[in-house]
Amino acid sequence: MLYREAGQFKASYQADQAIFPVAQDRLVMLALLVIAFLVVPFVTSEYVYRAVLIPTVILSLAAIGLNVLMGYCGQVSLGSGAFMGVGAYAAYNLAVRLPFLNPFVCILLSGFVAAAVGIVFGIPSLRIKGFYLACATLAAQFFGDWAFLRIKWVTNYTPSGSVNAPPLQLFGWDLSSPTANYLVALGITLALALAVKNIVRGHIGRQWMAIRDMDIAAEIIGVRPLYAKLSAFAVSSFLIGVAGAMWAFLYLGSWEPAAFDINRSFSLMFMVIIGGLGSILGSALGAIFIVLLPIFLNQALPPLGAAVGWQISTATVSHFESMIFGALIVFFLVVEPHGLARLWSIGKEKLRLWPFPH
Amino acid sequence: MTTARARSFTDVLLSVENISLSFGGVKALTNISFDIRKGEIRAIIGPNGAGKSSMLNCINGFYHPQEGAITYKGQRRSRMRPHAAAEQGIARTFQNIALFRGMSTLDNIMTGRNLRMRTGLFWQALRLGPADREEIEHRKVVERIIDFLEIQHIRKVPVGQLPYGLQKRVELGRALAAEPELLLLDEPMAGMNLEEKQDMCRFVLDVNDEFGTTICLIEHDMGVVMDISDRVVVLDYGKKIGDGAPDEVKRDQAVIDAYLGVSH
Amino acid sequence: MGFFLEVLIGGLLAGVLYSLVALGFVLIFKASGVFNFAQGAMVLTAGLALVRALDVFEQWHWPFGLALLSAFAFAAVIMAIIAWMVERLVLRKLVNQEDIILFMATIGITFFLEGLAQTLFGADVYPLNVGLPKDPIFLLESLFDGGILVNELDIWAAVAAGLLVAGLALFFQRTRIGRALRAVADDHAAAQSVGIPLNQIWFIVWLVAGLVALVAGAVWGSKLGVQFSLSLLALKALPVLILGGFTSVPGAIIGGLIIGAGEKLAEVFLGPSMGGGIEIWFAYVVALLFLLFRPQGLFGERIIERV
Repeated sequence: MLYREAGQFKASYQADQAIFPVAQDRLVMLALLVIAFLVVPFVTSEYVYRAVLIPTVILSLAAIGLNVLMGYCGQVSLGSGAFMGVGAYAAYNLAVRLPFLNPFVCILLSGFVAAAVGIVFGIPSLRIKGFYLACATLAAQFFGDWAFLRIKWVTNYTPSGSVNAPPLQLFGWDLSSPTANYLVALGITLALALAVKNIVRGHIGRQWMAIRDMDIAAEIIGVRPLYAKLSAFAVSSFLIGVAGAMWAFLYLGSWEPAAFDINRSFSLMFMVIIGGLGSILGSALGAIFIVLLPIFLNQALPPLGAAVGWQISTATVSHFESMIFGALIVFFLVVEPHGLARLWSIGKEKLRLWPFPH
Repeated sequence: MTTARARSFTDVLLSVENISLSFGGVKALTNISFDIRKGEIRAIIGPNGAGKSSMLNCINGFYHPQEGAITYKGQRRSRMRPHAAAEQGIARTFQNIALFRGMSTLDNIMTGRNLRMRTGLFWQALRLGPADREEIEHRKVVERIIDFLEIQHIRKVPVGQLPYGLQKRVELGRALAAEPELLLLDEPMAGMNLEEKQDMCRFVLDVNDEFGTTICLIEHDMGVVMDISDRVVVLDYGKKIGDGAPDEVKRDQAVIDAYLGVSH
Repeated sequence: MGFFLEVLIGGLLAGVLYSLVALGFVLIFKASGVFNFAQGAMVLTAGLALVRALDVFEQWHWPFGLALLSAFAFAAVIMAIIAWMVERLVLRKLVNQEDIILFMATIGITFFLEGLAQTLFGADVYPLNVGLPKDPIFLLESLFDGGILVNELDIWAAVAAGLLVAGLALFFQRTRIGRALRAVADDHAAAQSVGIPLNQIWFIVWLVAGLVALVAGAVWGSKLGVQFSLSLLALKALPVLILGGFTSVPGAIIGGLIIGAGEKLAEVFLGPSMGGGIEIWFAYVVALLFLLFRPQGLFGERIIERV
């Protein structure tokens, strides 16, 4: 009975075009923000920060980035892991080579580096589509893997190939505690998510979706495929690059090239599909799901196996994880291509009518 | 049935000269010439496979004819991309509806305005100032088109869920949103019932009258063609076999033969 | 010169093995328009089923020939079950969906199969001996100093690939089912309307691709041992497909040879000056450059777009 929009009239186009046109949604959103920023820091343990909150927040941003490309512009990419790597190594090199720059400035600048690389690898999309393009993005992934490992300049000639993030501070404050990492990641992710939401509901977003839904018709009504596709690649890579830099600086601390291999690409793709193609909220839901599932399985499977007398090793757990992810991907593609986000909005629709059946 | 409206036009908007188009040896169009004058409603008719859609595809730059030239607003043009045609004021609808299925009616029609929307990524991301003003300004135009086409009730419905007749109307709306000088309609009334056809005829005539838009349409329903068009081109097997006012064309022996299926 | 030839021949023979994996892709793409990312996982599954069954039968002291045949039969049955499940649970539900949705579904199948196969059959490296000779042999010793080193196993692999291709070409061109497969590839709905049972065709083609995967698994397994990395062969086969065209059986073979030879030569002659390890991306970059100039591949058909 609480979720009713009756009586809320929109008197201007601004009001009609708002992100949350329904007052209750605005309230819920506000409550979530208050909890995320003001309550969580006082009740969360370091383990929860490291294992759940920080990865979820950062990967949400990466998933939003991939969703711009796949969900909004319809260009499949299997190279997002490498683009996270580009962001991470760009931020690292900026920090090492321009030591006067604050690490947070490096994180933001790394997004632009990733965007530039994204545009280069997006050029094939002007000629090829669908899985041909997916193959082309794999080229980006493998080239990235190789470059991070073999081009010694990238890792500043570190003998082990492993590099460390600079200490995080801003205006003299030490920001290396998990709480600070979490709050910074959350702030950047929310700000960029809002920016993306604004873009996708404006004319650039409409051009992306037009290309996605029917590229020929889009071109005939005047959308330039060149601008539309490359801008999607640029925005997507920017977001993924920033996420990669945060992943390195705020989460990993020190890392090796393997942190950005093809498995990262696949896991981002799963977030987007399970969360919902073409949904910002869905990207976050997908990230939460993909981060939590392995933790849940690791906790739940061994005791469950022991109960029936079956010793379950961590390797077995990871095989189960792989099976469950695979099955879920197929399930969501078959049953609900719009993913968790669609389930969410169906739930809201039900709530709007509740307690009446129609 | 009324006779064709007696109007006359003099300024040539677009002329097609000796166009030939083939796909790997199959001739789709052979040596076709005709013109479209400013302000008129020009119909292209002909049996199935006569090359009508290919003709429209050439005009808006989707196909590139091997021979011949197209002159638009006094400018001859060679290989031009479809978006360039759109920039010069040519809009079109499709035989098999080509809407953006995942988007709402409103967004589809707004997409038709994209050529006139200029704010960059930065302002779009902030959605303040210029971006917001621009969006509202174009939204107003689009709302007028929505009112004109009487589709207010489906404003926020994803077009994939709409019935066929309404989809055709939304597609017309998207083309109109571009405020084209030349509007190409590929079988706008195909598959419609009588009532829907009457509505669509009314919209086409209103667009022509109120906005002065030049219209070139392909249509199979002869009654409709004779009623609303000023001049008619007849194609058969990729060749032009007739051109003139509806009444003349109707009496032309070659045209009658083509429609009644005299062997070639 | 002798060294160059040795690298070239080694590359060509490796290329034959890529072709074996690419063949499975082409079969499924030709007949169902599905880009089957799971082909590599199918190679892994088939290889694991084969080697584990062989181990068990040998422990039972069956004669080697019988054990080997039974193991192949067992793996074939596993592939049939997979084909049946894929058709039932995935393809049937996704008829008329966009190609890219089906492609992503096969990525889901990949992960599912990888998890399933390793849970059922184990996740170690299992050496496989199917009776193929493995000795290195030297060719043309009279021409070059020391001759050219070639692995005998690779030659057998090439023979197996050649036989498979000949057989598949006959199957597609000459049999009723082959024609039906090609019809389905052109247009699902049209094929159905003339009475071709779509579901049955899909099952058959996934089964055939499964058997091709079994051959590939046996050959690669003999060479490297059956292990998880077999699944990654799919990634090696993609550039082969781009080069050869997705619908062409000869294309898969020639593409495989070009990629195999090209990446070995690049690794040996270009690699050292670039820090090594360029094999991974070289094939992709070649394929990508190729795509820009001839998007339909060497043997693919050109597509005319309509509106």
